[in-house]
Amino acid sequence: MPSLGYVVRRVLQMVPTLVFILVVTFVLVRLLPGDPLSAIAGDRVTDAQVAQARAAYGLDEPLLTQFLIYVRHVATGDLGRSIVVQAPVRNLVTERLPPTLMLTAMSVLIGVGLAVPLAFASALRRGRAADFAIRAGAQISLSMPVFYIGLVLLTVFAAQLRWFPVGGYGDDWGERAYHLFLPAVTLGVSLAAILMRNLRAAIIEVLGAEYVDFARAKGLATRVVLLRHVLRNALISTLALLGPTVGALLGGAVITESVFAIPGIGRLMIESIYGRDYPVIQGLTLILALLVSLAFLVTDLIQAALDPRVAR
Amino acid sequence: MKVLSFGAAAAFCVVAACVAMPAGAQTRGGVMTYGRYADSLFLDPVLNDANVDIWILSNLYDTLLLPTDDGKGVQPGLATGFTMAPDGLSVTLTLRDGIKFSDGSPITAEDVKWSLDRARDPKEGIWNFIDESIGSVDIKDPKTIVLVLKRPDPAIIPGLTVFNNAIMPKKLFEAVAGATLDDKAKVFAERPVGSGPFMFQSWSRGQQMKLVRNPYYWRMGADGKPLPYLDGITFEVLPDDATRLLKVQSGELDGAELVPFSRVNELKANPKLNMVLFPSTKVTYATLNVRPKLKNGADNPLSNDKVRQALNYAADKDAIIAIVTHGVGTPMSSYMSTATPLHTGSGAMFPADLAKAKALMKEAGYEKGFTFSTLALAGNVDEVGIATALQQMWAQIGVTLVIDQVDNATRTARYRAADFSMRLGSWTDDIADPNEITAYFGYYPTIESLHSGWKNDKFNALFEASQKELDLAKRTAQYAEMQAIYRDGPIVPLYESPYPVVLKKNVRGFVQIPLGNNIFSGTSLEK
Repeated sequence: MPSLGYVVRRVLQMVPTLVFILVVTFVLVRLLPGDPLSAIAGDRVTDAQVAQARAAYGLDEPLLTQFLIYVRHVATGDLGRSIVVQAPVRNLVTERLPPTLMLTAMSVLIGVGLAVPLAFASALRRGRAADFAIRAGAQISLSMPVFYIGLVLLTVFAAQLRWFPVGGYGDDWGERAYHLFLPAVTLGVSLAAILMRNLRAAIIEVLGAEYVDFARAKGLATRVVLLRHVLRNALISTLALLGPTVGALLGGAVITESVFAIPGIGRLMIESIYGRDYPVIQGLTLILALLVSLAFLVTDLIQAALDPRVAR
Repeated sequence: MKVLSFGAAAAFCVVAACVAMPAGAQTRGGVMTYGRYADSLFLDPVLNDANVDIWILSNLYDTLLLPTDDGKGVQPGLATGFTMAPDGLSVTLTLRDGIKFSDGSPITAEDVKWSLDRARDPKEGIWNFIDESIGSVDIKDPKTIVLVLKRPDPAIIPGLTVFNNAIMPKKLFEAVAGATLDDKAKVFAERPVGSGPFMFQSWSRGQQMKLVRNPYYWRMGADGKPLPYLDGITFEVLPDDATRLLKVQSGELDGAELVPFSRVNELKANPKLNMVLFPSTKVTYATLNVRPKLKNGADNPLSNDKVRQALNYAADKDAIIAIVTHGVGTPMSSYMSTATPLHTGSGAMFPADLAKAKALMKEAGYEKGFTFSTLALAGNVDEVGIATALQQMWAQIGVTLVIDQVDNATRTARYRAADFSMRLGSWTDDIADPNEITAYFGYYPTIESLHSGWKNDKFNALFEASQKELDLAKRTAQYAEMQAIYRDGPIVPLYESPYPVVLKKNVRGFVQIPLGNNIFSGTSLEK
């Protein structure tokens, strides 16, 4: 297990990251052309009405004042209220976060569940037909756009075979897992391809290591050698890859969320950016930064547990 | 002056006829699932500003008068009738007996006055222009409301059918948390209460909204029992077109809106589905900046009437309709749609005529052409398609069109700041009167004629006169003249297009009226 000192150090490292995100998001959203009012206002809004609304939302205040108000609110846990849908940002995020978290968890399970056996199968049969087939499969799944995989799965397994619903989310946990299965496969297959390629290379490298030969020479069963020595060591670099990939899934599954009609935060983020909904973009980015930092933290801690040298 | 009225006994659009139900046994019950391209944003009738709200609001909130299904007339609502005074300076409305909000509390004259006063407050939202003529809302007795007008207003009656004039429960609204009316509106709109055919049940943002039957709704169905026929409606949010349609095709949805035009023929051929193209007031056009100088100080050829005419003649509307709408659109014959009252004209405003376009360019001194740019919504298949088609068509008269793809907020910020040469846009009416589109398209003081800078004193004077003209024949003539003047207006009129909705074969009586409202009150799911 990593030492307490390492854990504390790693957690403290998150603080400047989050502060940086807070400042940068605030500035960046305001650098985009237009503002929330220009996004809402179509043809039918007069200049006087825009000015009136801008004042009502405090957007006519100096930038520094707006920033200080924002920081003061964030410090008290208040992420503000959406300008476009008028609901509190906290409510929007708590409504939209569970589908994304669940989709991410299921995708990672499917991704890892596929990647580990396939990587072994491929590495242990290196250069043979099975290896080529698995690598070709990974290449194909990486080359296909996510929306295409999603639509094919929907058309075949939902619309035609009726094994799964055509998108949506569901009302209880069982139904949600059922609804999220196809989108999780869509994302999991791409994730598996990335992880598998990396893990396969790591396994091949580890298989050639002296300690593996030694373990075999000791007469350990192949299964034990593969799981305890090969997998454990090969996973270290793959885990390093998993952290950022999970981070990308948390914030970037927009296309999958749209194709499968999942009310997740990817879609909320895109809608908020198009709507220049400053409070939502800011609040969501902050929460996502926190989640991604946590994903990195968890993978770092697992890595440190597997390889104590990491924590030094 | 003529007294406009309809008494209780008059044969208004009879409800049964409106919803096109066959005589005989009426099917009741069931929950209809309907796929929408986007979720609602803010369910407040006064402060909303998006079609995703407007088009479903009438299911939750009722108005004193209702639009007819053709979108051109009015029929009774919470009021059984109205009388306009001979001098046109007041409207008396009679409230229906026994009307209630969906929580069972009675709708009183006080609720009506409070709702209309809020709707017409210039500080509240963007729709108060509809009620601009109202000087005061007076309660004559518990059943009688008198609108005292500042000027005769031919559009006030259709105005009372518009969502912003929905009647809301004053006491319930005032009881919710919030320091100001606007704050209260934000809270109230999370769990709205009205008196429409359905009442709010639940809302998971970005996913689904559930409405259930309002047991207190006043309108009677074909079977003599109160509407609606359905037990409820579930709106599912399905932003991806392909998924939304797959869900209808697989039977998981009873209907879906905004079918891409490219899929209309395929769905028409599906025996299990009913592909409907509801007539609409939607017009699609290009707006040209007609100011003599552009934002960057350069001379603007588009300020020349002849150049704009040349661009219009060089734009082959039929080809654009074929490319973009797959043939379901029709060329615009005026700046307003044929479904808008007082529309005049037939056939394309500028039938394609390349020779004429070239001659006009020569007359205008631009024989060698020029270059200008258009704003197009990035990723929007229709806008990019139109821009690309125009680019090729105008190349034939020497004009080079540069396509500048931007997102919505950027586009709006730029055209509102007059920082554009051309932009593409669409419009649908919200009121069964031509005054809304005219105020925004051609009457300079509203928004400088679609932010184009086009200013025509004759047009402005005619519009101002028409706003207080109660004589229909005179007002029709004024509108005919405005439409004629607008031939030299700031737009390239492209096409009108219907609302493409796909329904399962067993869905009866659903209507999307030309103003866009989705009417589920007379909808039933046949067994």
